[in-house]
Amino acid sequence: MAALLLRSANGGIRCLTKGPAFITTTTTATSSSFGFGLLTKLRRSYSTTISQDLLNKKVQVYQSTSKDPYLNLSIEHHLLQHSHPDSYVLFLYINDPCVVIGRNQNPWLEVNLPALQEAEDIKLVRRRSGGGTVFHDHGNVNWSVICPPAVFDRDRHAEMVVRALKDLGVTTAKVNERHDIVIAGDGRGNGKDLFKVSGSAYKLTRLRSLHHGTCLLNSPRLKNIGKFLRSPGEPYIKARGVESVRSPIRNVDINTDEFTKGVVDEFLAMYQEQFGEDVKVERVGEEVKDMGNIRKGMDELTSIPWIYGQTPQFTFSSRPTEDDPRERPALDLDVQSDFNIEFTLRHGEVQTANVSGLKYEGPAMDEDLYDGMASQALAKGSDDESPLKLYEIQDWVTVLKSATAGQAFKVSDSSLNSISEWLNKVFPGNHFR
Amino acid sequence: MASIARCLRIARPSVVSAFAQSSVRIARPFSVTANNELRKYTREHEWIELSDDKKTGYVGISSYAAKALGDVVFVELPEEGKEVQAGDALGAVESVKSAADINAPISCKVIASNLTLEESPSTINKVPEDHSASGGWVAKVQVSEEGIKDLEKLMDEEAYKEFTAAEDH
Repeated sequence: MAALLLRSANGGIRCLTKGPAFITTTTTATSSSFGFGLLTKLRRSYSTTISQDLLNKKVQVYQSTSKDPYLNLSIEHHLLQHSHPDSYVLFLYINDPCVVIGRNQNPWLEVNLPALQEAEDIKLVRRRSGGGTVFHDHGNVNWSVICPPAVFDRDRHAEMVVRALKDLGVTTAKVNERHDIVIAGDGRGNGKDLFKVSGSAYKLTRLRSLHHGTCLLNSPRLKNIGKFLRSPGEPYIKARGVESVRSPIRNVDINTDEFTKGVVDEFLAMYQEQFGEDVKVERVGEEVKDMGNIRKGMDELTSIPWIYGQTPQFTFSSRPTEDDPRERPALDLDVQSDFNIEFTLRHGEVQTANVSGLKYEGPAMDEDLYDGMASQALAKGSDDESPLKLYEIQDWVTVLKSATAGQAFKVSDSSLNSISEWLNKVFPGNHFR
Repeated sequence: MASIARCLRIARPSVVSAFAQSSVRIARPFSVTANNELRKYTREHEWIELSDDKKTGYVGISSYAAKALGDVVFVELPEEGKEVQAGDALGAVESVKSAADINAPISCKVIASNLTLEESPSTINKVPEDHSASGGWVAKVQVSEEGIKDLEKLMDEEAYKEFTAAEDH
């Protein structure tokens, strides 16, 4: 693996390699340079709070020592809400494997929930910023910049990251019209096809503007990302809210430490001199978990009503409807020829339900009547009062059985099982097991 | 909505230069209709229009904000009964991957939300300052006593026009 040594403007040394990185970072560089010298400036204290003094500094840089996506987003939100309105803040974090949907998205539409259930170690996260669905793991670095609204610009800090990438040899990196960062070919001049390596999203409050983005550096799961972001329910779901836009992706092939240092350098080049401060990289992590606001933020982000219930209104229908006339995949279920199942959901709760074409066992087969009764029952939850919550369903078998509970008729076992098996694949409850 | 002024500057340079060229001094013509005393604007580009008895009002985002935001793809409406102080978040809009807070112009309590915006978020782009049944208003609110005082800090239509013209430079 050919290694290129570059002397940076400040006298530090940076190491570049092509392909998987074997760089070992050193801490022996001169302490005054921004490059490796940053490591010697890391604050060693592990305070259990982020002090207001720190939050009032003109220029702040934080790096997370935690890989918990819910904690990292809560730290980020705390920085957004409590950093001084005139300050410029950079926060960098890496997450354990997770799928992250935007504020106003639909997990049943955007995410392969059964695949998540099977994988067991991949979390599902709904963030507070807008935009589409992305996948994070240890090969991806998240960067977040918080600044005053007066200087907010959707590309400004994406360009900052592009500069960092260029400094690291990724010469064809650029920001596209969707505010994503793309590279041509391998980013070093081989190949012309564009690949997305970073997506952006924003959260704008009255006093502050937040821009955060990903960067695919060396994810080992690159080939599988597509699988997690393709929902088997997609052919049946029509949703309000925000849909993702697909792009071909690839790894930049850079070590995460190198990238992180590069981004910090570019951020400081933009702001440190301007405000004449000596900025240290503050490490934050598990130790701030119990700070009031951060604890509150985490409780919200890990709650089922947030992850699943914050879903804008949508419909699920096994057949084309006026509203959603797309052709559906052919079904191979033990049902009548007029089989149809339709739901309208708000906040992840069933508002209306309609079934027809189930196979029943029971006296005097008035199937239309049974269908009507089952439809009504399906809309209700187990307590018969409140609506059925989609995200509480563990197995559709139970739900379908309860639709005829207390009646003289029931859905035949084979019909019940085949429909449940299908629904558990395309329209499961939550992914927690 | 505070960040959106900057969005406008970046997204539509032609609009900005038109403003720059055409207005050295804005001459104030005599208006045929009286300045609507019941309509006020915030520096963050929200508006409130009060009923005649000043007990209730409609809240929304200004045309200036709607243009700057770009195509709104989703509106997060406030819950009925929600009580807010001036400046608190009263819902949000999403456009161009940005979740942007809509802030309460005055202290108030939400009586109703405009459900049309759930079905058709683009209504807020088309008729953002319209508070009729088919308009792009966001919430109907009950005005508290504190709210009446908050009104004094807001801009009337003329002042808001000057404010936005100045922002584009």
